[in-house]
Amino acid sequence: MDFLLQLLANGLVNGTFYALSALGLTLIFGLMRVVNFAHGELYMVGGLIGWALTELVGANFFLALLIVVIATGAAGYLIDRWLIERVRNQGAESGILLTIGISIFLTNTALLIVGTVPHKVLSPFANKPLFLGPVVLTQSRLSIVAICAVLMLAVHLLIKHTTLGRAMRATVQDAMAASLVGIRTERIHGFTFALGTALASAAGALLGSIYVTQPTIGGLVSLKAFVVVILGGLGSFAGAIIGGLVLGVAEALWGGYFATGYVDAIGFALVIVMLLVRPYGLFSVKSERA
Amino acid sequence: MSMLLELTGIEAAYGKLKALHGVSFSVAQAEIVALLGANGAGKSTTLRVISGLMKASAGNVVFNGKPIANLRPDLILKLGIAHCPEERHVWPEMTVEENLRLGGYTCSSKTELEQRLEKVVQPFARLRERYRQLAGTLSGGEQQMLAIARALMSSPRLLLLDEPSLGLAPRITQELLDIFRQLRDGGMTIVLVEQNVHNALSVASRAYVFETGRVVAEDTAKSLLGNPDLLRAYLGG
Repeated sequence: MDFLLQLLANGLVNGTFYALSALGLTLIFGLMRVVNFAHGELYMVGGLIGWALTELVGANFFLALLIVVIATGAAGYLIDRWLIERVRNQGAESGILLTIGISIFLTNTALLIVGTVPHKVLSPFANKPLFLGPVVLTQSRLSIVAICAVLMLAVHLLIKHTTLGRAMRATVQDAMAASLVGIRTERIHGFTFALGTALASAAGALLGSIYVTQPTIGGLVSLKAFVVVILGGLGSFAGAIIGGLVLGVAEALWGGYFATGYVDAIGFALVIVMLLVRPYGLFSVKSERA
Repeated sequence: MSMLLELTGIEAAYGKLKALHGVSFSVAQAEIVALLGANGAGKSTTLRVISGLMKASAGNVVFNGKPIANLRPDLILKLGIAHCPEERHVWPEMTVEENLRLGGYTCSSKTELEQRLEKVVQPFARLRERYRQLAGTLSGGEQQMLAIARALMSSPRLLLLDEPSLGLAPRITQELLDIFRQLRDGGMTIVLVEQNVHNALSVASRAYVFETGRVVAEDTAKSLLGNPDLLRAYLGG
């Protein structure tokens, strides 16, 4: 029983991390209809900037996180206005090809600058174990889970309850109507991509303090993020959170009771089952779009 | 009579396909003017040019003494022109209230927004009952009312209405026409695009008849209604 509780706790912690890493992907699809294949690379950029600031510059972890969010958010805005703008309304394929191009560019630029060695973001949270009844978790993981939860709540409130969030939802649902009430839809697209980018790289900086980060990590991050959003329903905010937790727990249980070697296959098995029985995900995109 | 809106020689095209060949007309303050004509005559395109959704390749649009042709839609809206497009275009996955509040997107004062909300829903009792409902679940008539109320949330001086009665039951259409009369009596200027000539002429004071991107006739509603031959010739009605 204690073992099961420990596995569940590990699964929920990892699941929260998965959820946060997938949030930017689902947001950009849900609010822009762009499938962002550069998602994992934006995560990687966040991790590397976080590492450079905390390790090389010696900046405070939270200050570094703030700089990551602002810098990559601004870069995301420019990527949308300069690049994505050119392929908007030209079908999904152009957007996919463009973001694949961006991902290749980011990976290779990062390789050129920092090389292949894995790096770690320095965080103030100790790796000391915390005993919660029979369950043991590290202080650093619990702290990052708490920050993840705050970030997710903040994004949820932004989208559901602010004028900017309403404008984002209006623009994806009917861009012409949005223009007619005075919303500058091209800017809203830019802000939406900025938000998705900032979330991806915030995840990279946060989780870069738990795991390691390196230029080639983007592909793996994107794969996991796609598993999460397909489980939850592409474009669904709640779906990404549930999908992340399901994946985290499934991997933990499989790794604990069966074979740790096949843990990464669990996600793909879940995706195949999901695509067979409920291809629109646990949360239908129609009723639960971000 | 001084004119609130004046179009002169407006030309516009969808790619290479020219849709307007020098459209000119004018609308006075607190007047309802109908634009009549068959499908594809250029009525909706004219509204799109006025509200800035579409660029004019030639000609002038003057609103309240100010040239506004080819300004951005948000700037035109701020000057006081609201466009309620054909087929309603409400945001289906947002609530009635969210749709209405976004209608006042350009309004920066919170108290002003609440006042507008209160005023705008007054003639649409049904919308108030459905405040928390998603707009996509409303009936066609209710969606049309929401689209009009949303346009009114910008507190416009000129309202452009594109086919508001399309697909609605006659009873609902009459209800809408009554609301248009009330708005006009309150000082609102309305340009009404309609396929249903008799409905349009029952509220408009004047009408312009469009044919293949040109204005081919202009008359008062009264004399058009009294001249069935002319109506038949232009509109097949």
